[in-house]
Amino acid sequence: MDTAGLDILNQAGFWAMVALTVAGASIAIFPRNILYNVLGLALCMTAIAAIYVFLGSLFIALMQFLIYVGAICIAIVFAIMLSRPLHLEMPPRPASKVAMATAAAVLFFVAIVGVVLKTDWTPSAARVADSSLWSVEAIGRALLTRYELVFEVISLVLLVAIIGAVITAGLSRRLSS
Amino acid sequence: MNSLSTYLIISALLFSMGLMGILQRRNLIGMLISVELLLNAANLNFMAFNRFLAPDPVIGQIIALFVMGLAAAEAAIGLSIILALYRKMHSINIERAQRLKG
Amino acid sequence: MGALFHDPILLAIVLGTNLPFLSMAVILLFTRSNPKLSSQISVGAILVSAVSAIYLLAKLHCASPLQYQTLWFSSDKLLIAFGYYLDPLSLLMLTIVGVIACLVQIYSLGYMAGDPGYSRYYAFQSLFAWAMLNMVIAGSMLQLFIYWEMVGLASYFLIGFYYEKWSASQAGKKAFVMNRVGDVGFFLGLIWLVIGFGNLGIPELNHAAATQGLPQHVLTVAALLIFCGVIGKSAQFPLLTWLPDAMEGPTPVSALLHSATMVAAGVYMFSRIFPFFSASPDAMAVALAIGTITMLLSGTMAMVTYDLKQVWAYSTVSQLGMMVMALAAGGYFAGVFHLTTHAGFKALLFLCSGIFIHEFHTNDMRIIGKKGGRRLKIPMACIAVGALALSGVFPFSGFFSKEAILGVLAAQPNKIWLAAALLGAVMTAYYSFRLIFHLLFPKDGIEEKQHEEHGHSSHGHEEDHHGYIFWAMAIPVMILAGVSLVLGFVEHPIEHFLIGHIVEAHPVAHGAEHGGGEWLMIMGVSAGLLGIAVAWFEFGRKGASRKGFLSYFPAVWKLFDRRWFLDIFYRKSLDTFVYGGLTSLFTKNDRRVIDGGIDGICFFTEGSGRLFSFLQSGMLQYNLLMMVLAAGVAVLYLLF
Repeated sequence: MDTAGLDILNQAGFWAMVALTVAGASIAIFPRNILYNVLGLALCMTAIAAIYVFLGSLFIALMQFLIYVGAICIAIVFAIMLSRPLHLEMPPRPASKVAMATAAAVLFFVAIVGVVLKTDWTPSAARVADSSLWSVEAIGRALLTRYELVFEVISLVLLVAIIGAVITAGLSRRLSS
Repeated sequence: MNSLSTYLIISALLFSMGLMGILQRRNLIGMLISVELLLNAANLNFMAFNRFLAPDPVIGQIIALFVMGLAAAEAAIGLSIILALYRKMHSINIERAQRLKG
Repeated sequence: MGALFHDPILLAIVLGTNLPFLSMAVILLFTRSNPKLSSQISVGAILVSAVSAIYLLAKLHCASPLQYQTLWFSSDKLLIAFGYYLDPLSLLMLTIVGVIACLVQIYSLGYMAGDPGYSRYYAFQSLFAWAMLNMVIAGSMLQLFIYWEMVGLASYFLIGFYYEKWSASQAGKKAFVMNRVGDVGFFLGLIWLVIGFGNLGIPELNHAAATQGLPQHVLTVAALLIFCGVIGKSAQFPLLTWLPDAMEGPTPVSALLHSATMVAAGVYMFSRIFPFFSASPDAMAVALAIGTITMLLSGTMAMVTYDLKQVWAYSTVSQLGMMVMALAAGGYFAGVFHLTTHAGFKALLFLCSGIFIHEFHTNDMRIIGKKGGRRLKIPMACIAVGALALSGVFPFSGFFSKEAILGVLAAQPNKIWLAAALLGAVMTAYYSFRLIFHLLFPKDGIEEKQHEEHGHSSHGHEEDHHGYIFWAMAIPVMILAGVSLVLGFVEHPIEHFLIGHIVEAHPVAHGAEHGGGEWLMIMGVSAGLLGIAVAWFEFGRKGASRKGFLSYFPAVWKLFDRRWFLDIFYRKSLDTFVYGGLTSLFTKNDRRVIDGGIDGICFFTEGSGRLFSFLQSGMLQYNLLMMVLAAGVAVLYLLF
């Protein structure tokens, strides 16, 4: 296979992933059935993980898949099961609200795209083209040396979040019952 | 290869869709899902910058990791709040949760 | 600080004027429970003041005006100085105030003995002395105004001294309010002056060249507004009714404040910036008319009252009117000299009356006469001296000052003022001697018999017991009587002292003062004697009716007795304008504007709260929507 063919394939794969991302996001936000939304989110996350591969980081792609699809989406599904019965029909959204939301989103999109296109992006001068820098080993080294404090803080935040979640959900159960 | 702008515009699109979701959904879980979209859009940005601009490609990946961690924490807290709210109000409709209405 | 101790003059000024304040503070803070100590502190302080005033007069009597001042505050081009200004006028007045305040405080040792508010009385006396002394030597009109108000405050305290008495507290309020009416004008005048002239320093105001540069209308308005202050403080028409009511205070207070010094403050202020006033002929004409009306009105009122103090109160108003007349007619020296002599003999009259009142516990001259007022020989003689001085009979001080005033008025082209002054002199003599004859020759003789045993024994007892009290009252009275006798003969030294530096402003008036001629003197004296003769005919001679010719005209009597219905007029106008008009306006203002305003603010707050609470819908998504929109717009704005 020649490089040009590989490139086209590459491009096709990339745009397919982009299409999947957008489709997943659409499914995540538009249908009124909450279960579809979660499935759309999972699809979107998976596609984004694939885009991360295109961006050169297999590790982050895996983490994305693991955390979002494997953890968050499952947690959301649990939340859905614990809350509202699915068979109850949700009333349709007010058109005005949808219109306003769309307008705001479009405005924001236009603004961001404007910023993106207007900015003169200059790559850093000291760019090292060394593939070893992209390895998992490099990430682990950085995490446990230079970014250790942040790493620890994040773990603390996660711990607090877990305890907080347990207390919020558990305490309110005790209060209401 | 695709340029930085492509990725940025994709992420902007994702962000706007998340925004649209968060602004129109009445289901709290739906809003949470939209928030996840927003975070992913941001993450995508980080990764794109990391790929094209950063001097050291480790930094962007680490930031993306942190964002994921925070997203997980946010999801945990958000979901527990939703559950607590549901138990109190027997609804997860955001439009009903307006006891602070002036 | 160092300069204070190296300059004996400055030390005397500062000590003399501020010790009374210190004594007030000490009395109010520490020694209230100890009346004797309080009175000693106060009398000690005022003695120092009197001595330093005399020292200053002796030291500076032939020096040029002395000025101490520091910049108080400055605003743009306006500089307000704070300081002392010592010229012959302020030195003279300082001495008058210091000496009379001192005598009155000594007198009060006797008069107020045993009063439950003894310490309070002395505290207020000290406050008054402090304010008055500082007012006299103030270097700028603003400073003068501040102490002027302090004087009014002290006056309010002292009039309402017997505050448990309804009429006394009412009188205090009346005096205060009426003074405020005048002071509002005064203050407006000062503001006008600041705007138009840009300086409030007294020497600057009196500088002829400075006021010449001002437009005439500015000058006239300023002078008229400031004259309002004179009207209020010196009880001129139409604000004259507070002074007779102010007699509700203790008699020494009446003597000090409401005859000799405080009410003279108005006249003093008039003469203080006399060159300024005289730069505006219109204002002077108004002042002349007001002085004349006041003099005649209050003279008639004095002719019908039986209250000892009321007579002297009306007489004070009348004499103040005369001083204003003299000043307004351009007779600077005549006015100030009459102020000086009047301070002496009116204090004398009040203090004598105080002795009678203290002895007989009544203000009614008929009862005092009946109970044997003439047996108190010293006060009787002294009151006669005072009355003679007031009537302008020859060797007494009033004669000289009245002659000076008549001389000034005779120099006026319009002789009606002179005629009015002569008529006033007749009335003055009449009511003075009406009082004297009532005391001397009571209608049915002295009730000797029925009070012989009881009255005499208690009397003697009192004499023994209160010997110190009696002499504390008698000695100041005798001093004042002596002053009234001799003061007239020092007219020319005082005139030289006062006029020496101000003569160039009014050569005409000055010339007229000397060229009065003999016929004026004769007319003046004969006016006094005529009044005395009428009084003798009606009250003194054996078998006199003792009613007064006015009793044949009940309507006139009533008119005079009710003070020309001025009070009723005020009451009515107060009811119609103030209560009916202004108060209802204010009430409406209160209801509509203020209440309505507050309601409106509440309503607005509530309404806007409602409005914004619509935004605060509790709808998370709308808040977020707004946020996103704002962020988007901001980004777009910054972008393009």
